[in-house]
Amino acid sequence: MFKILIPVRCFTCGKLIADKWEEFKERTLKGEDPKKVLDEMGFTRYCCRRMLLSHVNAIDEILKF
Amino acid sequence: MNIKETFINGGILRFTLEGVDVSIANSLRRIMISEVPTMAIDEIYVAENTTPLFDEIIAHRLGLIPLKTDLDSYTFKDKCSCQGVGCSRCQVVFSIDKKAETDGEIIYSRDLKSDDVNVTPVTPNIPIAKMARGQRLTLEAYARLGTGKEHAKWEPVAACFYKYKPIVELDTGKCNLCGACVSECPKNIFKIEKNKVVIENADTCILCLECVNKCKPNAIRVSYDKNNIMFTVESTGALPPERIFLEALKIFDDKLSELRSIITGKSEVDK
Repeated sequence: MFKILIPVRCFTCGKLIADKWEEFKERTLKGEDPKKVLDEMGFTRYCCRRMLLSHVNAIDEILKF
Repeated sequence: MNIKETFINGGILRFTLEGVDVSIANSLRRIMISEVPTMAIDEIYVAENTTPLFDEIIAHRLGLIPLKTDLDSYTFKDKCSCQGVGCSRCQVVFSIDKKAETDGEIIYSRDLKSDDVNVTPVTPNIPIAKMARGQRLTLEAYARLGTGKEHAKWEPVAACFYKYKPIVELDTGKCNLCGACVSECPKNIFKIEKNKVVIENADTCILCLECVNKCKPNAIRVSYDKNNIMFTVESTGALPPERIFLEALKIFDDKLSELRSIITGKSEVDK
């Protein structure tokens, strides 16, 4: 139950990240380098960067039941 | 205290405090983090929730959404004239009522209907829950002013930190142009231009001293200026960063005058 949807804020610093997830997902799926995408979206600290990089959206698995 | 080199860009405020001790800078940092008030959702009433997420998870996600705060027209609930009951001067009511017509419909922060147009989520694109067809979420949420002391959701800043102004000096007489500093520096401060090592953006130096250690002829000296404190205040969007700093100064001033009145024996606390 930990990360079903993207957390609203970064666990460490509290920066708002949830609204940037869809853009990040879309752009990385198109084959853009995640490093470049994160830099352009203004993620300067590694705490916020790992939030997006390591996230797995599991809600679609739960939604079926 | 002098404030120099102010720079505001998209919710980030940078400035340099001159002629101030770290103790003052740290007080300001701590006040900005834990005592500047903002709005956040604090209580919800769930009428119907058939989404795959528990009520508590939705409550938590709603609480963490930063709300644009109108500090001038709201007061703390416990200091309000309604005595904590909740009125239009200390509380904002939000509501969500959404039923999924298709599979995989997402409830966003834009679906939160506020009863005050000045207090809304900072962006409309924060996902709150995802629903399958036929599922429904109906709830009412109450936002109030609070401080970071009580819960981190009321913190107006994401990152708020300071450092001493770095001083990077190069002795051109000793430098043998080996280029070790250029390749070692993680912040790329050094550059070789026209057979000379040039220092660029020395303010971004993180004082790791890699360049000093790798420089064989000992031409580089890195130190810091204790009189110049470089501040970075990154807002979550609830308040503009300059407002956060000004509020922190006000709160700091109030605290100092309270301390003074206690020392001179004029305080209520003393009696």
